[in-house]
Amino acid sequence: MIELIHDVYRYRELIWALALKDLKIRYKRSFLGFLWALLNPLLMMIVLTLVFSNILRASVPYYAVFMLSTLLPWLFFAQSLAYSAEAVVGNAELIKKVRVPKSVFPVAAVVSNMINLLLSFVPLLLIVPATGMSFFWTWIYLPVAMIALTIFTLGASFFFATANVYYRDITHIVQVVLNVWFYLTPIIYAETQFPAQYRWVFKLNPVVYVLHGFRLPIYGANGQYGLLPQMSSVIASFVCGFASLIIGFWIFRKYQDEFVFYV
Amino acid sequence: MSSNVVITVENVTQRYRVIQERPDTLRELFTRFFRHESEVYDFEAVRDVSFKVRGGEMLGIVGRNGSGKSTLLKVVAGVFRPTTGKVKVTGTIAPLIELGAGFHGELTGRENILINGLILGYSKKEMLSREQSIIDFAEIGDFIDVPVKQYSSGMYMRLAFAVATEVDPDILVIDEILAVGDFAFQQKCKERLLDFRRRNKTILLVTHSASDVTELCDRAILMDQGNMLFDGHPEEALAMYKSISAPEPALAATADLPMA
Repeated sequence: MIELIHDVYRYRELIWALALKDLKIRYKRSFLGFLWALLNPLLMMIVLTLVFSNILRASVPYYAVFMLSTLLPWLFFAQSLAYSAEAVVGNAELIKKVRVPKSVFPVAAVVSNMINLLLSFVPLLLIVPATGMSFFWTWIYLPVAMIALTIFTLGASFFFATANVYYRDITHIVQVVLNVWFYLTPIIYAETQFPAQYRWVFKLNPVVYVLHGFRLPIYGANGQYGLLPQMSSVIASFVCGFASLIIGFWIFRKYQDEFVFYV
Repeated sequence: MSSNVVITVENVTQRYRVIQERPDTLRELFTRFFRHESEVYDFEAVRDVSFKVRGGEMLGIVGRNGSGKSTLLKVVAGVFRPTTGKVKVTGTIAPLIELGAGFHGELTGRENILINGLILGYSKKEMLSREQSIIDFAEIGDFIDVPVKQYSSGMYMRLAFAVATEVDPDILVIDEILAVGDFAFQQKCKERLLDFRRRNKTILLVTHSASDVTELCDRAILMDQGNMLFDGHPEEALAMYKSISAPEPALAATADLPMA
């Protein structure tokens, strides 16, 4: 773990440059460029709001804020995994020819999506007042939630980056897993809307604890707005985060010297 | 020439796990699992090689295709961790295993200079201060702000060579790239390598060009099928290389390594 911190610090400029490169390439040749980072969540919100508040008549007030509060961090998580799966394989040419700590690639993938997430929070700042919702003082908890989310995402990213080196199916499996995971996580619906006898599923879902840190401060729960997560939930989010990071990085480290033979 | 040893290669063996038709997908893994197949065998690309290089030396590595030259270079450059044996390198090292390995086509020359330098372990500040001399040496001109995918192969290689040499590493590891650019640029590259040597820098050079070996190198190693056959005077290494190459010309074409 110390090794990871050391490498990240030593190669911070490289990680930053790779992350910017990622973003630049992602929005390259698109007319709107970086605006897409803002537009994507906005358009998705419009579609989902239409579907859920009008067609399905979901009874959640301020639905847009409710959903975006967890959808944006979820998208960060999901896209980081998708990017990380390609992080090592996609840099094969480099790994085969230059000595460079391989951990910089998944980290850069997460950093680039983090920038994307921060950009996507900008439309949220407009949508909150637009829906008549207010900003609560509990927003100050968000940086803490962000740290838990990032740690969790990094761990999962290391795992999928490693797995994809050995089995390229992982790229596709990640998409399927993320799809199922998305619907099993209270993002577009509230926990209480889920059938009571199946709610234990959320207890097993580490992302739920992590996302609590976003939904409660931005939105709330059970008709109360602007809440702080309970201590037990905060602890759970960090336990899940560190467990993910320790396991993910341990696996990555164990195999990283072999990558060069398989990419 | 100083006498301090900067590269020590001690009994290095590099083994690749070659999996014939490696299961690339889970489906193949499953089918193979049920058929109890595993066509894994170990391939020794470099076998028990030891040598030392002193600061200021220019060492040529010659041998047929697939003899382990590039593998040896990659072990020294730290791309591979040797299966057994030890490699010790003192000082900064810049590998030119393949020119422009770290280049990204969508990024401009200027952006690639920065990323390449960061990959080699230099800071942003250092790279910015060297940017202009890199651009000048590579003779890129206004193209520096154009994505490198639009470069001609000559420009691409000139830029890569310029980055690797301009960062002024203590050790330069070069794999067959001296044939870059036109005649004038080749001369410029050679000039630069000789200048490196004058400044007591160390160079490892894999090449097929006999003239490079005799003109540039102080010493040469001959590799054949993963073994080091000779270590000594460049002329002798070349003579021996010619003698082992002559009888079986067909082998050179078939002996390509999967990784090299």
